[in-house]
Amino acid sequence: MGEEKIVGHIYDIQGYSVHDGPGIRTTVYVKGCPLRCLWCHSPESQTFTDELACMPLRCVGIESCGACLRVCPKDAIVLREPEKSLLDDSVYLTKVRIDREKCDNCMACARVCAAEALFCDGYDITVEDAFRRVMKDKLFYKEDGGVTISGGEAMCQPEFTYALAKMCKDAGITVCIDTTGHCRWELLEKMIPVTDLFLYDLKHMDSGKHRHFTGVGNELILENARRLAAGGGKLQIRIPVIPKLNGGLDNIRATARFCKELGDAVTLVQVLPYHRMGIPKYQRLDRPYRLTNIDQPDDTYMNERLQIMLDAGLKAQLH
Amino acid sequence: MYQFKPVTARVAALRERYRTAPVILDSEHARLVTEAYQKYSHDVAILKRAKMLYYVCENRTLRVEDQELIVGNLGLNYRGTSVSPDYGMGWLIDELDTGLFDKRDKQLEHMELSEEDRKVFREIWPFWKENSASTFVDKAIPPIFADVLAGGVLSYREKGNADMPTGHFNANYKKLVDRGLSSIRREAQEKLDAMMGKIGANDPPKFFFYQAVIICCDAMILLAKRYAAACLEKAQTAEGNRKEELLMMADSLNRIMEQPCRTFHDAVQACYLYQIVLALDGSLHGISFGRFDQYCWPYLKADLKEGRITEDEAQELIDCFFLKISDMFKGRSHHVSMGGGGYTSGQQMSLGGVDSQGNDATNPLSYMLLEASARLKLHTPPLSLRVHKNTPEKLWEAATECTKQVGGIPTFQNDDVIIPMMVESGYSLEDARDYCIIGCVEPAGSGNDFPACGGPHAKCYINMANCLIVALNDGVNPTNGIQSGPHTGKLSEMTDFSQVLDAFRKQVDYYMDWKISLTNMMEFITQNVMPLPVLSVTLDGCMESGIDCTSGGAKYNGCGSASVGTGTVGNSLAAIKWAVFDEKICTAREFHEAWMAGWVGHEELRQTLIHKAPHYGNGEEWVDELASWAMEVYAQKYNSGEFRRGHMKAGLFSVSGHIPMGKSTMATPDGRLGGTPLSDGISPSQATDKFGPIPILQAASKLKQSHDYNGTLLNMKFHPKSVEGDEGREKLIRLVQTYFEQGGMHIQYNVIGSDTLRDAQKHPDQYRDLVIRIAGFSAYFVELYKELQDDLISRTDQQ
Repeated sequence: MGEEKIVGHIYDIQGYSVHDGPGIRTTVYVKGCPLRCLWCHSPESQTFTDELACMPLRCVGIESCGACLRVCPKDAIVLREPEKSLLDDSVYLTKVRIDREKCDNCMACARVCAAEALFCDGYDITVEDAFRRVMKDKLFYKEDGGVTISGGEAMCQPEFTYALAKMCKDAGITVCIDTTGHCRWELLEKMIPVTDLFLYDLKHMDSGKHRHFTGVGNELILENARRLAAGGGKLQIRIPVIPKLNGGLDNIRATARFCKELGDAVTLVQVLPYHRMGIPKYQRLDRPYRLTNIDQPDDTYMNERLQIMLDAGLKAQLH
Repeated sequence: MYQFKPVTARVAALRERYRTAPVILDSEHARLVTEAYQKYSHDVAILKRAKMLYYVCENRTLRVEDQELIVGNLGLNYRGTSVSPDYGMGWLIDELDTGLFDKRDKQLEHMELSEEDRKVFREIWPFWKENSASTFVDKAIPPIFADVLAGGVLSYREKGNADMPTGHFNANYKKLVDRGLSSIRREAQEKLDAMMGKIGANDPPKFFFYQAVIICCDAMILLAKRYAAACLEKAQTAEGNRKEELLMMADSLNRIMEQPCRTFHDAVQACYLYQIVLALDGSLHGISFGRFDQYCWPYLKADLKEGRITEDEAQELIDCFFLKISDMFKGRSHHVSMGGGGYTSGQQMSLGGVDSQGNDATNPLSYMLLEASARLKLHTPPLSLRVHKNTPEKLWEAATECTKQVGGIPTFQNDDVIIPMMVESGYSLEDARDYCIIGCVEPAGSGNDFPACGGPHAKCYINMANCLIVALNDGVNPTNGIQSGPHTGKLSEMTDFSQVLDAFRKQVDYYMDWKISLTNMMEFITQNVMPLPVLSVTLDGCMESGIDCTSGGAKYNGCGSASVGTGTVGNSLAAIKWAVFDEKICTAREFHEAWMAGWVGHEELRQTLIHKAPHYGNGEEWVDELASWAMEVYAQKYNSGEFRRGHMKAGLFSVSGHIPMGKSTMATPDGRLGGTPLSDGISPSQATDKFGPIPILQAASKLKQSHDYNGTLLNMKFHPKSVEGDEGREKLIRLVQTYFEQGGMHIQYNVIGSDTLRDAQKHPDQYRDLVIRIAGFSAYFVELYKELQDDLISRTDQQ
């Protein structure tokens, strides 16, 4: 009763999402994650609370605006060196940045920034509104497309995720849950009847290394995967391959063995090459990007990992 | 995955020559036309046109290039070109006088021109200053029109209004290849003989028409035989295979045009030669081949069955044919290059679709056309794939892979919307099923229609953004202060949003009334000065009625137009409603003042409009409805216009006219700065679409596209990452299919990232073969002028 009124805290809803499960999907990204993967490409998804983001490219300069300066109660808006306008070489613009020491993320500046150079990346949405948004694209889903609830960690907001998944399922569209698997088993168990496919990440088979790279050990994750498989859940295993961290052949082989153990529950294994497209997002939050010495893997490297999966008798693809 | 094969050594060599040779303008054609006009000055117009054509075919210099299999040339040099002074050459003299002609770079369709040829153009100019079609049209436009023009809504100019020939038609190539001209000539002769001594009150036009048909047939037959002789001459010094080829080509050229075609080679050569003749007569832009895969397949099928040709040989022939189509170009003004560009000519070819019974009409030739475009990476001919609910998956697949190789080739046209729409506008079901695409996106009958987009002389564009600007400034375009439209009040005085809409509607009505008036007047002049007997020879209805196509002799008739700025106008209306009347961020007066200042000094408000106000194509239904309403106001008004030859047909597309039009359009209420591009076709304004392709398709589906008889154009750009592999392709196909299920008429897309385009801008030499779809056509990216390149980059990459 009243489930549709549950409020979730999310950072985006993306239509025509073609990388998060089968068919054409709409992905709801909930905010907050218990893991801190070094390679994470959406740093804005990690915290439960909102952080102020800053995109100087959009800033029109204090010469013609300066609204943020007027409203900031903490004196946390700092001026940058004037720079040439992209539109007009003869015009110099003084743009702003955030003094993170002083800023307490009150968002007063974001509320007045017309150019959306300063913005808050999280917002509240009711299950009902999220559902309505998802249903707008229904005609495009056909049989296999639908909604994907991702994150952050979808299971960090279990009531919201469950209620949204159930509403979608009841409305006849397929549901994917993108999860790290790092959550109480009962939460995942409850999801099984309303989930067509779990997009399930496996990051390292060695718990120590897993803890080192993501901040948590892998025991709960592996155990939950086994229980999901045994409990009737369908899994698409996703393996982000980060050279030097988890791309070693031994770890990939161990991962393949684990997937194989899960049996028919695994419908597909996706091997995802490490990429750096998230770096600008770290800059927006003035956060350091810690993987500075790792290159994006080439095709040969990735194909070798893919082959291991295929050789293990798994249905697998590069993605 | 669908794979394209490598080209043969011959094709590779021909292609390299085509891609590296400059376009050279010469005066031979213009001189011959001048001589003919002086020689036949006392003939009635239709005979003068026919005799001019014969004179040109008889006297022009012919070329047969090394290695080529299909012959035909427009100028004295390889990639030579000509201009048609009979339509108007004032632009050329103006550009020579101001030096603009030599300042044009490759991006603005640079042409080389020798001193001697310049002299000839100057010598013939005094004659054409008094006798060209533009002279007649310019003189006929009433003086009051200068004020109407000041609104910036219509695409007429002070002079040179008929410099562009009508173009935009699909001749009946099927009739040409199946019947041959001697049979048509005989029919004309019989009609003429029957008329002797019995010319009634209404018969004189027919009497002259059939004479003109005979002369045009003779001209085309003569030209083919002259090419045959040129091949024979070359054969004398050629050796081995090439000698055989030239002899075969000569044999074919001696037969075709006059007699029915026998082989696939005959058919291809006949189509190309007809195309050359139509271009010599004056037109080139938008002369479309129509359903080439339908009317030429029987010949290829028979050849394959009889073993006269192998599939590889046929593919090579198509490659050669495509290269010949690509190198056709007719000299045109700087102004026109800005609106088009990239040496394109809109020689559309349609493929796929349904047959007369409504069954899928795909055949092996359909695939071979895609193969040629993809493996040659050619921007011309533009291909339109007609799809319907039974289009084979394999054809979808081939087409999607093709458009990944060459941006926007093919475009996708929806049979399930277009066929019922054509039936509703008066085509028989059978003819509607046989429609083809003309120019950019305009649906028309195959070989039986004179749709004349923009009326004679292609004045099709309507700048809807200026219409709104004038509407909210009491009938004045503030850039010049002239009272152009009716008094509709100023935005600053408006107290209710309905007043904004009323003002817009009144101005649309006013300018459309003028547009219709001018079109009708220009039609009359064209009928009397510039008939098109060489087209009427094949077009269904003309021979039967004895009436030239410009006078309404064709079976179907129309007059299309193209409105530009759907997104700009939709966003502008939404911005006013949102900021002034709903959210009350500012008063109407404050809004108006800020806007009139070009947003200078009002950056906060402008940014608010850009980032906070809702936009077309972002899933806000009421905004999409507003855009739809605005375009429907135009479509209803234009479609109801009185037109002697049939119907006026509204359309929503811009070729690349949204850029030059934007250049002369002041700031708009959506926060757009003056001088920047308008939105193109029915796509959202550049970079305002924040929520991916689906809301765009939903917005486009809300437009009442079935009232846009002249076609709509939706342009999208996908990042390669989003359409990678079999899975990415399938998702993209499904996206398009769903759009079509919801009433979409047309879609085209590029698969490329803005990052790549930026890199191409910096290193053009490394991206020589990068083909990209602009709006109504595809072109080599590095051959586009900077603003056009920037516009492409600024469009959102759909991820």
